[in-house]
Amino acid sequence: MRIALMRIAECLPAWRWRRPQGVARPFIVLSLLVLLAGLASVLLGAGEVGPGRAIAVLLGGGDAEARFVVGSLRLPRTLIGIAVGVALGVSGALLQAMTRNPLAEPGLLGVSAGSAFAVALALLLGASAATLRVSAAQLGALVGCLCVLSVVRMRGVGSDPIRLVLAGAAFSALLASFTSLLLLFDQRAADEIRFWVIGSLSGRRIDDLIAVLPSLLVAGVIVLAIARPLAALALGERVASGLGHRPARVRLLVILAVSLLVGAATAIAGPIAFVGLVVPFAARALAGPDIRRALWLCVPLGPLMVVSADVLSRLLVAPSEMPLGVLTAICGAPVLVAVVRARRMPTL
Amino acid sequence: MHDRTLDIPQLSDEVRVPAPPGSWRLAWRWPVAEPRWASVLVERRSVIANLLLTVVLLLSSLMYLAVGSVVLGPLELLAVLRGEGDMVAAFMVHELRLPRLTAAWLTGAAFAVAGCLMQTLARNRLATPGIIGIDNGATAFAVASVVGISVSLAPPAMALMGAATAAAITFGLAVGGGTRGYRFIVAGIGVGAVFGAITQLLLARVGIDTANAAYPWTIGTLNARPANAMVVLAVGLAIGLLLAMWLSRSLSLMRFSDAVAQGLGIVIQRRRWQVLTVSVLLTGLAVAVAGPVGMVGLIGPEIARSLSSRRGVPIIGSALAGALVMVLSDLVGRVLLAPIELPVGIVTAVVGGPWLLWILLRPASRNLV
Repeated sequence: MRIALMRIAECLPAWRWRRPQGVARPFIVLSLLVLLAGLASVLLGAGEVGPGRAIAVLLGGGDAEARFVVGSLRLPRTLIGIAVGVALGVSGALLQAMTRNPLAEPGLLGVSAGSAFAVALALLLGASAATLRVSAAQLGALVGCLCVLSVVRMRGVGSDPIRLVLAGAAFSALLASFTSLLLLFDQRAADEIRFWVIGSLSGRRIDDLIAVLPSLLVAGVIVLAIARPLAALALGERVASGLGHRPARVRLLVILAVSLLVGAATAIAGPIAFVGLVVPFAARALAGPDIRRALWLCVPLGPLMVVSADVLSRLLVAPSEMPLGVLTAICGAPVLVAVVRARRMPTL
Repeated sequence: MHDRTLDIPQLSDEVRVPAPPGSWRLAWRWPVAEPRWASVLVERRSVIANLLLTVVLLLSSLMYLAVGSVVLGPLELLAVLRGEGDMVAAFMVHELRLPRLTAAWLTGAAFAVAGCLMQTLARNRLATPGIIGIDNGATAFAVASVVGISVSLAPPAMALMGAATAAAITFGLAVGGGTRGYRFIVAGIGVGAVFGAITQLLLARVGIDTANAAYPWTIGTLNARPANAMVVLAVGLAIGLLLAMWLSRSLSLMRFSDAVAQGLGIVIQRRRWQVLTVSVLLTGLAVAVAGPVGMVGLIGPEIARSLSSRRGVPIIGSALAGALVMVLSDLVGRVLLAPIELPVGIVTAVVGGPWLLWILLRPASRNLV
């Protein structure tokens, strides 16, 4: 433990408490937008309680039903949406920077599918405690990440962004069919997991969020520590070594952070695709190519996308709800097509 | 008149043009007033491959009929097939297993031929209808008609429309970059993701019972095969196979560059449309019967290509190999975890997924067909 701490402390001088230039204003604007979306998420819903009654609750009044709906259903849901958005957005940006591939995304590359498979396996073996589910999801995500890394290191594939995505899609499909296979074995697990597999924020409790908070914090510390080496790594492995960073170690830390983040997000909300693609894409468009600035912007952009998609998913087909994963896929797939169709594939 | 050296009348019994090595020349005399000779060259290797596939397919079909929750011995099966044997076994074979076997044959052949056509057209073995999102489009539309968009059109018609829509979108998006290379396929993956999401959305809106009933169908199974869709598929497959064989000659030239094919007298644009239409037709009709069974369109043509000669486009071989893959996968799915029945789509995905990864990741990847 002490050695590990010293190792992290070794990294620290490389990372100074200096805010990247020029992201303060978009960061603040986006954070305000996230607040607005969160407010909308608390006020609007598919059920009976409308904005008027919800405002009454927020002002301290309101009837018992409205208080229950707002306090116990919508508020946790909004908070969970924010956490999931941050985790998925940041992990997407990290993966893209590490693989130097604008299409790398936890959902597309099979990281989410890995953790979904691990959770299904854990449920099948009899686990049901929330913490166990989180660690299973994170382990699965770690394995998925390691697969991605080994594919990237393979000659010829890593340099071709589209081939990596194809391999990821094939890997995801394979894992998804394994997951359905597991679900066929066990009706109980299937019932428990059916809505979770699609990816949704409905019916999640605040305990789930508390269970994953420690790992989110650890991942946050890791991300702060590796932002600067990662930016150097974007210039190529040799440049990064020349600047005094250790590419292998940075990569391992990235993988650790990504699997903590994706595992946590998947454990709460199920596999939600395309957030990790769209958010870094928008962040780069706003902040330019520097990974540190893009990472800062991913922090508000992720929740903005997830929470507003969640609000829409409640309103579009009211009185029922549609799964969040459906809406993010409908928003995200066109972005994927647009990136692919760009005449010159941007390499990171 | 007789100054041309290779005129048809010279191909009489006396002067025979020897067949090129590795092929047979089948010659016959038209039984008309003035006898004319006609001949075709068949590739020896392809004939052997197709015969082999047929034998294996027949054997595995017999096994399919015999094995299940009740296992019949070979003699029993023969008796039942001849119309004898006891009532229970006869009912089981004739009413339960035989229709399902027919469905496996038809859908497997349709998926594989559609895959073979699309792969050859795109000059990329990954460009099967399942991967570029056409399956998903067909499924979304068919699910829409099953779960009741108030006007309930027949699922086969809706599946066809869905397949056509998805194909139109994918190819429309690919107009700039051409149908070659990986970009086109990733665009197809995006289109497929959108249609997959729409299917989920439709299933999320209906009651739990309807959703449960539709769930196996979204992964691909031979369990819930609509009778009218089967008839439509049988007719469509017959037409599609004939069209595909007619197109295969041009296709085998279109495997070269566009310029070469054009120089050899092929109207590329028109042929492309025809091939695409046949492929979409077969995919849509097969999805209406079995749902999106993935990977058959990838594995079937792959087996056929590795067995038959490299010269032609193995349409018949693909159909046979696809039917074989489907029969074996469904057999495994029925038997492996009995009494639970695995949907055939899961079996093919588990088998085909690693294969797909291997194609993508092996070092000397020869991705063009």
